[in-house]
Parts: sequence; C-alpha cells; structure tokens
Amino acid sequence: MGIGDVLPGGGVSKQDGGMFGAGSPTFLTTKIDWVINWGRRNSLWPMPFGTACCAIEMMASAASNYDLARFGMERMSFSPRQADVLICAGRVPYKLAPVLRRIWDQMPQPKWCVSMGACASSGGVFDVYSMVQGIDTIVPVDVYVPGCPPRPEGLIYGLMMIQEKIRQESLSRHFEHRAEDPNSVARPHANAEEVSGLTGPFGSSTHQDQLSTGLVVDTGDGLADDLGQGDD
Amino acid sequence: MTDHPPNELDVVSDGALPSDVDESGAVASSLREATHPSVLGLMGEFPSAVEAQTVSARDQAVVWIQASKSLEMLRWLKDDAGQLYDMLSDVTGVDYGDGRTIEVIYQLFSTKHKRPLRVRCKLPLDKLEIDSVVVLWKSADWLEREVYDLFGVTFVGHPDLRRILMPDDYEEGHPLRKDFPLRGRFSRAEQTRRALLQDVERFYQASDLQVGGRPQEVATPESTTLHGEDPS
Ligand code: SF4
Repeated sequence: MGIGDVLPGGGVSKQDGGMFGAGSPTFLTTKIDWVINWGRRNSLWPMPFGTACCAIEMMASAASNYDLARFGMERMSFSPRQADVLICAGRVPYKLAPVLRRIWDQMPQPKWCVSMGACASSGGVFDVYSMVQGIDTIVPVDVYVPGCPPRPEGLIYGLMMIQEKIRQESLSRHFEHRAEDPNSVARPHANAEEVSGLTGPFGSSTHQDQLSTGLVVDTGDGLADDLGQGDD
Repeated sequence: MTDHPPNELDVVSDGALPSDVDESGAVASSLREATHPSVLGLMGEFPSAVEAQTVSARDQAVVWIQASKSLEMLRWLKDDAGQLYDMLSDVTGVDYGDGRTIEVIYQLFSTKHKRPLRVRCKLPLDKLEIDSVVVLWKSADWLEREVYDLFGVTFVGHPDLRRILMPDDYEEGHPLRKDFPLRGRFSRAEQTRRALLQDVERFYQASDLQVGGRPQEVATPESTTLHGEDPS
C-alpha cells in the first residue's frame, strides 16, 4: 500500500494524471501534523520488555494468529535504539528497575510506553519486598493494559490507544507532551489528587498507604457517610 | 480411614501430621530405627555427631548432624567407598521462626550407589556459621551464596560470599527470615530510590557483554574480582 492510496484524495502523481483525472494538478495539501502522526502511528516498533508470564501473551500477539504487524508493529525491536514503544510485560523486581529505566532512556524520542498486565501496572499480587509496585514509579506510562495476563486483544487494544494518542499529538505541543525532566519523568503525569480520585480507596502504585482523598462514590449503604465525605 | 483399596500413597497420607512436628519443625525418629546405609555408616564413623534421623516422603532419608563437624562428615560421605555422594543437588535453609534454630540442608545424591541423602545442620540464631563445602562440591558455590543472601548464614571458607539474588548493596536484611517484614523494611519510595541508584554497569563484567568473541572465561575463585574492578 503506497502513501497515495491513503492520503485524502490519493493525490500522488500517476502516469495518467492526478486526483481529478489526466492533466489535473499533481500536488496535495495537508497538515504536517497529520502526515507526521500518520507515519508515526503506523510504524510503531515495540521494544519488548518481557519478564514473566505476560510476555507469553505478548509473543502470542506478535505471532500469526493475532499478527501485530497488521498495525505497523512490523517487528519486535530487540534494541531500544530502533524502538518506539516500550511494552513492559511482566513483573519488575527492584533489581531490574535500573535496567528498565536505562532501556527507556536509550530509546529515542518520540517514545511511548505500555504497561502490560497487573504486575507491571501495580505490582499485582506481588506486594512484597522485592517487587516494583507499578512501573509508573520508574518510567512514564501511556497505556495500562489490565489483566493477568491480558489477552492479545487487550494488548492490541492498548497499542491502538497509543495510535489514537499519537493521532492527537501536534508538533506545536511537542515539548509539552514529551519533555523529559529526569526529576519528573519517574512520576505519573497526573497529580496526586487526580491519581487518588481515580484510584479510589485502594491507593495506587505511587500512593500506597493512604486512603483516597478524592471523590467518594455514594453506593447508598452509608459507607460514604462513615468516611465523612458523603453528601450532607 | 480410607475406603479405597490400599495403594502406595497411603504411606504418605498416613505419615506424620503437622501436629506431630517437634520444636525443630521436623519429625525425628529414633536413631535405633535407622536403616539407611549412609545413616548407619555415619553413626558408626561419627557416633557422637549424629543427632537424629527420619525418613520423609516415603523414602527420603534425612539425618541431622552437628554443624561443627559438618565439613568432616560431608567429606566422609563424599569420599568413603561405601557412600560416594558425588553430587550435591541443593543447599538450602529453613527458618522455623520464634527464635528457633535455622537449619542448613544439603541434598546429596550418589550416582555410584544410586541413592539420595538429605543432611541437615541446626544453627543457633546467635551463631549462624557453618563451614563452606565448596571445597567438596563446586555446585555449592552459588547455592551457599543464596542461603547467605536470604537467611544470613555465613559459610566459613567460601571463596566469594556475596549476595546473589538481592542487589549487592541491599541493606534491609535477609528476606527469607521469619522476622523479615513481607514488604521489606524501607518505604516503597526509599526502595525505589535505592533501586534507581544502582549502577547497571556493575551487573556485568566486560566479558559478559562481548558478542561473538571468544567463549566467556570462567573465573576461578582466585581470579574473581568485584564486577569491573581492575585486578591489578
Ligand atoms: S499480570 Fe499475571 S500474567 Fe502478567 S506477569 Fe503478572 S502474574 Fe504473570
């Protein structure tokens, strides 16, 4: 499939003429954002960081039945230098944390990150001394894929969400999106209140030991009143 | 108690119940009941150093010996023509908690006589020291490092007694001890900070990273240096 088949109007020069038939102009106009995002989102090469059982499902997604290559993830890039999206599939112990961080740092901009499975996203059942409680404490994560393990459809859906995210990016907001301050990069993009509000009373990978200060959903059983945050 | 025809698994299900366990955590039978040739041999050769014996899981002979004599007795088990335990499959440890002794367990196998033997040594908590058996079996090297790492048992005479699973600079203690808190001693934030401070380069020696070169050199104990250190 060439670019001419995809761009609006299919206006790349052909022997027998342009978009309006023989003799018509053979150029097209588009937004540079659109072209760049089109290119980026359809040639995402994943850097597979598979550390545990989730990696088996990641391999299944890449194999012929699910075939990630359909979405432009043409090849698993086993070198971070040629990768665009880090797929962290599996649990990450603290000893491996600096390796994950280094691989992320070695990937060239622009780059995205998928946290695949419960363990990578939150530590999962491994709430123990050796385990990173969510890789968003190490690298910034764009998409979390829930599941233990997620089915290949889940991973593909997550990657398509990344494609959707790329589609909405703009060069003019580039630095806002992808600035990498080493001090802020190892924190989630949402601020603390936002995270607490999203994660409810269970805490999150970055706020382990606190009750939510966010909204309390009133389930009608008086629990919200007990917490002193319900409707007055 | 069973209404099915007798089978060999009955021996297992009719064995000792957890409530029969003595304070060391294991079921010891009388020394007089010993039938295993190696246990009898040990009792003949070192009459005062054999503490107890039992048979677990149907046919696994277990013998408790004095920790202070362990090297001598294990050497005899390895070299005596009637024993020839030439394979050390595992060295591991058990902490029964509540201030009871920590045990170091050697799982031996004689490929000549085709029989296994499990040797256990009790170590008091205030003197967690035992002679290293690397001089007898090379396989003890990493296994003893693992017991040192996770239980804090010092193996006297080990050529390179460093942590093996936890990071070299891990300061929270020995994780498999019963008094170790499940989530470690430091806060998650501190654990993450320490994890990211690790120098990834120290995980490897230059020869590990070589691709397509000579086969990796196997370090002898004398030539072992800390990662990347210049031996000169
Ligand atoms: S989320 Fe489940 S499947 Fe994935 S690594 Fe963790 S335990 Fe394995």
